[in-house]
Amino acid sequence: MIRIFAGLLARAVVVLTGTALATFALLWHAPGDPALSIAQARYGTVVSKEVLDFIRAEAGFDDGFWTAFWAWLAPLIQGDFGQSSVNGRDVWPDLLTAMSYTFPLALVSLGLGLAVSVPLALIATRRPGSWMDRSAVALASVGVAIPAFWLGQLLILLFAVQLGWLPAMGAERTAHSILPAMTLGFGLAASLTRILRSGILEARGQSFLPAFHRRGVAQRNIARDHVAPHAAVPVVTVLGLELAFLLEGLVVVEVIFARPGLGSFLVNAIFARDFPKVQAMVILAAVIFVVVNLLIDLIYRILDPRMDGRDA
Amino acid sequence: MTIAAHGLSAERSGRTLLHPTNVNLKPGERVGLVGASGSGKSTLGHVLVDTLRARGTSVAHVPQSPDEALDPLRSMAFHWREAEQALGLSPDDARRADLFNALQIADSDLRKRPWSWSRGMQQRFVIAMALIGTPDLLVMDEPTSALDPVVAAGTMGLLDAYLRDRQTALLLITHDLGLAARWVSRLMVMEASRIVEDAPTPRLLSTPETKAAKALCAHRNWLELPC
Amino acid sequence: MLKVENISVRRGGATTLKDVSFSLAAERTLAVVGESGAGKSTLIGAILGLVRCASGRVSWNDEPVGKCRPALVMQEPRAAFNPRLSLCRSLMEPIMAQKLVMDASRLDRLCQSLEVHLDLLDRRPDQVSIGQAQRVGILRALIAAPPLVLFDEPLSALDAVTQKHTARLIADMQAQEGFAALIVTHDLGYAAAFADEIAVLRAGQIEEFAAAQAFVEEPQTDYGRTLRDAAFALGALERVA
Repeated sequence: MIRIFAGLLARAVVVLTGTALATFALLWHAPGDPALSIAQARYGTVVSKEVLDFIRAEAGFDDGFWTAFWAWLAPLIQGDFGQSSVNGRDVWPDLLTAMSYTFPLALVSLGLGLAVSVPLALIATRRPGSWMDRSAVALASVGVAIPAFWLGQLLILLFAVQLGWLPAMGAERTAHSILPAMTLGFGLAASLTRILRSGILEARGQSFLPAFHRRGVAQRNIARDHVAPHAAVPVVTVLGLELAFLLEGLVVVEVIFARPGLGSFLVNAIFARDFPKVQAMVILAAVIFVVVNLLIDLIYRILDPRMDGRDA
Repeated sequence: MTIAAHGLSAERSGRTLLHPTNVNLKPGERVGLVGASGSGKSTLGHVLVDTLRARGTSVAHVPQSPDEALDPLRSMAFHWREAEQALGLSPDDARRADLFNALQIADSDLRKRPWSWSRGMQQRFVIAMALIGTPDLLVMDEPTSALDPVVAAGTMGLLDAYLRDRQTALLLITHDLGLAARWVSRLMVMEASRIVEDAPTPRLLSTPETKAAKALCAHRNWLELPC
Repeated sequence: MLKVENISVRRGGATTLKDVSFSLAAERTLAVVGESGAGKSTLIGAILGLVRCASGRVSWNDEPVGKCRPALVMQEPRAAFNPRLSLCRSLMEPIMAQKLVMDASRLDRLCQSLEVHLDLLDRRPDQVSIGQAQRVGILRALIAAPPLVLFDEPLSALDAVTQKHTARLIADMQAQEGFAALIVTHDLGYAAAFADEIAVLRAGQIEEFAAAQAFVEEPQTDYGRTLRDAAFALGALERVA
């Protein structure tokens, strides 16, 4: 187990280093002069050459790619995300504030997605091919196809504008998170329903199940002890990929609902060409990904130890 | 008490898998169900077991391969406990030791999952599980095809000794008349989803009547094949 | 003549074949029997050059075996064909690979001997029975007239009657075509009935090598006796009264 964990950890380090390098290289080679953008962000549209030189020296743009990369990476490893190149404030506290808005929303959306998809998948698979099953599949397909930015605006139009039940913009009260969570949760529920449904159907079709019936094991116990674990394996596997969609959806939803979370943090940083902020955000996303996938790998191995070819 | 099931039949999406069939077995009787692949032997085995079980007869079924009997994600101990509970029995170490000794799997680790055991051991475990409730009838579907000959022969021998001490009837399903003839006293020959011949083993071997039985008999022995 | 001289194969630290030697003359049949894990498939791989030998030499008439283009018949007949192609297309692969010209009368003759109806060749593997598929598999192996054919459990997917029928066809083909046959099987009955010699493989080593008749009547090793008695117990061999 320790060797496997070490292997996974080594893979995580490689992924994170690669991400850091790619992020830095992309911004480094982005079209346009970053120094000019930073200067404009700080001092207005008209900028003198001296100011530009000052910014270049300050950000290390003159020292060449690898020097600049290392100058950025070394403090990062120690947890120092640096200062904003626009207003000079530390990036970390701002990032922390943004996270405090985003993580609860992500968790609520995930909970909502599971709360809807699990019963729906169970109802749908009760009789495969029935009208209930087909409606669930249709609903899920529609849900997967609808983009978050469109659904979000639709919900605003209905609940905020027409009915006036819920607030649309901001994040002051709990009520503010209902519509964003619904937007994200719906898309998640749709894709989770599809995975769960096919997972359950596949688990039910396994060749050893008739033998358990013939042995006299109760239907309820078969479902709990033999179908559910097999159905969970693909779901857990896909959950890691779902996270990508969740993060992507968060960016869109936070912008639509004007919430001060990580999505808005990233979009604002990109528009301001605030290098350290963008980089911090990308690294954070990579860390979240790596950690979640590490956890999923471990859960997966506990659920299905065949992967290691060894037994407890 | 004789085990009797009448009018067994099966069909799927309009296709007949088994024509109405009657099966009778005396207590402790050994019967072979033989026929070519696709003749409906396994279907008859399934329908027979399901029908008898629904009626409350104590009957157990051993599928062709242990893959069809064991959940790869669950430990052997879990399977065993579950099988006991399904029969309404409380855990009994003596009974388990008795069966494991009879089938010579007493030294195996029950905490492991099926795939950590060899296939021969898995198959014996499945047979042991089938015998937990000392059933009146044991139905075995190609019990040797997943096993190496030495293990298969050993398993049949152990099972033979165990069944002889009890009044458990055996229905041995196989395509191999040579195998069946070695272990059963009566043979039923299947062809095209129905039993076409039913006779004591010596009679069937010496004077097969139907085409299917004749073909099986002619191809029974490797060393005496028709040219 | 196939010569296997002192070959050893190691895989992941474990030795799967250890110092195996034997020879097989043209037109003769050798059956390699043994339990799963004894190294039977590895032996086939080593002869075909698919598995690297740590030591030893395999040759056909003192040349590398690959030169004689040996053929292989596999255990799962339907899995041995591309499921998307008609059997006919798969059948022509050895011909095209070796840039040979197909002799229509030879194909006719082979089909007739193997009881393969020509219509069958237009179907895909899943549209024929396992027995039919295996006969087409044998046909494909023989089409380019190889001097050496390896059979890896050629009958174990078939039922008892089809097994014996197919075994007879293979023997007839051998009489007609004159290839040397190396048959890997766990079925001692098949080996006894159709092979000239039997090699007993156990844990990567040849435990016993004997004429088929002599082996069945009186195995010389304990393990050989165990195998034979198991065959008796399973009805694969009849005890001579």
